Amino acid sequence: MIYHRPQSIDEALALKSSLGQRARFIAGGTDLVVGIRKGRTTVDSFVDLSRVPGLAGLTRAGDTLRIGAACTHAQLEREGITALAQACETVGGPQIRNMGTLGGQVGTASPAGDVSVALIALDAVVELASVRGTRSMPLADFFVGPGRTSLEPDEMVLSVTVPTNRKSVFYKIGKRDAVAISVVVAAASVSPSGDVAVGLGCVAPVPFRPRKSEQMLRGHPLTSERIDAAAAMAASEVSPISDHRGGATYRRAMVETLTRRLLRTLADTPYEGLLSVAMSHS
Amino acid sequence: MSESNALHPERVAMTLVLNGHSVSVEVDPRETLFDTLRERLRATGTKGACLGGECGSCTILLDGEPVTACLVMALQADGRAVDTVEGLAEGEQLSALQAAFVQAGAVQCGYCTPGLLVAATALLRKNPKPTEQDVRRGLAGNLCRCTGYGKIIEAVLNASQQGDAQGTQKSALRGKR
Repeated sequence: MIYHRPQSIDEALALKSSLGQRARFIAGGTDLVVGIRKGRTTVDSFVDLSRVPGLAGLTRAGDTLRIGAACTHAQLEREGITALAQACETVGGPQIRNMGTLGGQVGTASPAGDVSVALIALDAVVELASVRGTRSMPLADFFVGPGRTSLEPDEMVLSVTVPTNRKSVFYKIGKRDAVAISVVVAAASVSPSGDVAVGLGCVAPVPFRPRKSEQMLRGHPLTSERIDAAAAMAASEVSPISDHRGGATYRRAMVETLTRRLLRTLADTPYEGLLSVAMSHS
Repeated sequence: MSESNALHPERVAMTLVLNGHSVSVEVDPRETLFDTLRERLRATGTKGACLGGECGSCTILLDGEPVTACLVMALQADGRAVDTVEGLAEGEQLSALQAAFVQAGAVQCGYCTPGLLVAATALLRKNPKPTEQDVRRGLAGNLCRCTGYGKIIEAVLNASQQGDAQGTQKSALRGKR
């Protein structure tokens, strides 16, 4: 095994291009190292991104925030985007949040990825890079299955961009507050023009957007009746499984409950309060 | 492709600042910092239980931030400051936090204690006057199967109430150098 420590993004991409699939990028290591120890992942060589300049930057431009792939969850807890901050502060414990990065979060493509759910509910766009250039796509389209993404073998996640002018909120149901994989997780946001986006986790093979439910809300005020109908529609769109953390029936019921609760919170919160939607995590 | 930055096994030299002292060590690029600390540097105060980032027993400070050493590759710590439980006391003089643990009886089997002390040191440095809720959140990444946490939380709050718990601050500052 070989351990590479590239000094630039270009050098990292050139290494990945020449080394191929079993060369793995490592940054926070919170998923990769566990996978190696459990024998789930075989790595021929590491390409260490933890000190590549320019990969951990946060850039505000207009109504957007561009988050570099090496930004940690701890950094994003403090960035004032409600759903994103709420999701980040429920991930792991303080130690994990100091290590785990945004690029790892989305690249791992866990259907239970709390932050991925918040990001798709913010209509985030992911930027991918390789020696062939960069490309961008909606983050919701980037996830193709459990642990599977649209990344080509020579590509890396470069950044995720989220709008800063949406009201948003996040809620997680877990067995305990910290270091626990979620049972059901949900997030929602609304744009200044009234477009609603919903993200759901642990209820489909990927972090999931209930498009029919979102469609029902498009162009309509968030009335109580419409919210109830959209929440019921969201529950009909998901495909949860039963496992030791929760049953499929329970998960589907919680999708309806959480979707309704989050949409009501958004409806009840004035835009002026958009950066400080208060929701308890109890 | 340039191999200039490629490191081949079996041994690669690296340097870290361990508890304020510069240390050179040869590591296998496949090993974690947890293994380097315990097996090569014999800094066995850092304990390991789950080795999967879930229990917090191996919590250390990397450039001042609490992380679980079992998930850090050794070479990721090259050139960086690493603080472990061994760095908290000044010789025989316990840090205020350590003394508070002793006083409150916050230790039972003791296995989680080093990780908790390091995590709590980081917590108090960032937030010298935490509420109980702050302490619970700050220590949420550390499991203890004996105490039920009550006395641990009490100890951290007691340490924080001793003004500028100088021992705690001194040790914690090392991570910033």
